[in-house]
Amino acid sequence: MKQYFAGVDIGSTMTKVVIMDDSVLASVIGPTGPEHRKLANHVMEEALKKAKLPFKDITYVVATGYGRINVPFADKQITEISCHAKGVAYLLPEVRTVIDIGGQDSKGIKLKDGRAVDFVMNDKCAAGTGRFLEVAAEELGVKLQDMGKLSFEAKKAVSISNTCTVFATQEVVTKLSEGAALPDIVAGLHEAIATRVYSMLRRIKIEREVALTGGGAKNIGLVRALEAKLGFAVQVPPEPLLTGAIGAALLGRDIVKEAEKKGIPLTKAERRLTEASLFT
Amino acid sequence: MKYVIGVDIGSAFSKAVVISGDKVVSHHVMPSGGNYRLTAKAVVEKALAKAKLSSKDVGYVIATGYGATNATTADEVVTDLSCQGRGVAYLFPSARTAIDIGGQFTRVFRVNEKGKVTAFVQSEKCAAGSGRFLQVIAKVLQVDLKDIGELSLKSKNKVDFNTGCAVFAESEAVSRVAEGAKKEDILAGLHRTLAAKIQSMVERVGLEPDCVVVGGGAKDIGLVRDLEKSLGCKLLLPEEPQTVAALGAALLAEEKAAPSGSAKK
Repeated sequence: MKQYFAGVDIGSTMTKVVIMDDSVLASVIGPTGPEHRKLANHVMEEALKKAKLPFKDITYVVATGYGRINVPFADKQITEISCHAKGVAYLLPEVRTVIDIGGQDSKGIKLKDGRAVDFVMNDKCAAGTGRFLEVAAEELGVKLQDMGKLSFEAKKAVSISNTCTVFATQEVVTKLSEGAALPDIVAGLHEAIATRVYSMLRRIKIEREVALTGGGAKNIGLVRALEAKLGFAVQVPPEPLLTGAIGAALLGRDIVKEAEKKGIPLTKAERRLTEASLFT
Repeated sequence: MKYVIGVDIGSAFSKAVVISGDKVVSHHVMPSGGNYRLTAKAVVEKALAKAKLSSKDVGYVIATGYGATNATTADEVVTDLSCQGRGVAYLFPSARTAIDIGGQFTRVFRVNEKGKVTAFVQSEKCAAGSGRFLQVIAKVLQVDLKDIGELSLKSKNKVDFNTGCAVFAESEAVSRVAEGAKKEDILAGLHRTLAAKIQSMVERVGLEPDCVVVGGGAKDIGLVRDLEKSLGCKLLLPEEPQTVAALGAALLAEEKAAPSGSAKK
């Protein structure tokens, strides 16, 4: 019987599901939202529909990300560090350093032989994460997805002296009222994130090639700002939001193959594609 | 009779104190707003008007605080730490430690009987470590800033927060409200978060009683009570905790204005 593997990555902002055999058969990206505990199975159902598969045909399900404990139908939970490493190694084998800029955190992962050997992470402070940009965009009345393009119109990036998201937002609003051009401010915000992320990354030694993943990689202005800091070009996977989910599915496949090789029965969770309840 | 003024242009609020001899004649507090220069002028004028004085009656002006250089009529600018120290010693001669919870920073300092600051630590410029945290949370919970202290004291079941970042705490507070948590319990939890940060600063500088709390954060009785619990000592509170640095500036101005030899210590 053919085997299928699912990876479910519940991020703080977006939920991603992929279904794979030897390659990606279906993927779904949906907003996590405040009800994320209930959302995992809806996104999973949607992915199954796309892949034209019933849930019972999925051999193994691995959940990852910030909300991974809230996936009741997963056979195993694996940290996002391991899953990102696996996913990037699969998509971009020459990569040695991964920079992931997510909705509420940012991390740097060092890869060796397709596995994470070191990492740094900031999930304590909104500065240097997608959240910084989200808060500033809202305050400036700019759509998040427009910021990348907008920053290309910048003549000179405004320098932002505050690190803290709250104070930096106040600072850019003041600068706007003092007559600074919006594109210059947006470019300044990208630089601020790049600076923050870059200083975090120095704790692990950056080695080429470098991949950028997470929602931050969808912002071309931020990609360019980071490249300017690094001094060379970074690689961006075709869908930078999916690396964690792909890695999760692939790690699930490894677990199954390993069990088959050793001839040991697979330990699997009792799976039901049901909603996790809030207070259990 | 000569009057002197201390004016403190903070990031969030501006304060002016008019004194004569070493008696406070009047004071005024107003939001700093976007234009520090206009605010610096206005806060002095308002304080003078309250005492029915004009600028002609003023002998010396010392400015302090984040926006001090915008007080163009000042004779001198003095660091806010020096002014805070002087103000604290005047109000509470027994105070040896002071916690200043301002709009951008929290500072903890040791002060001697003359009002000289002997050691201090300052938070990073981080909203979660300053009075700004309280503003952010009051706004998201739709509670008036001046009411959050009293309200939080009603809490019976403090909500624990996982984060020390004001931005993340803001969204966590929204989620908790959506899940049915009471505002007072959220406020009490957030006071805990801020108090824990302040407590670690106090430990770094060393707590020597008496300890006083100044700055806008001192007006939050919920935060003060939480700090008292975690520090294990009673905290002294000025009647007008926001004006302590301005008062200190005025006292320093008085020394400058007084004929030499008669200056108070």
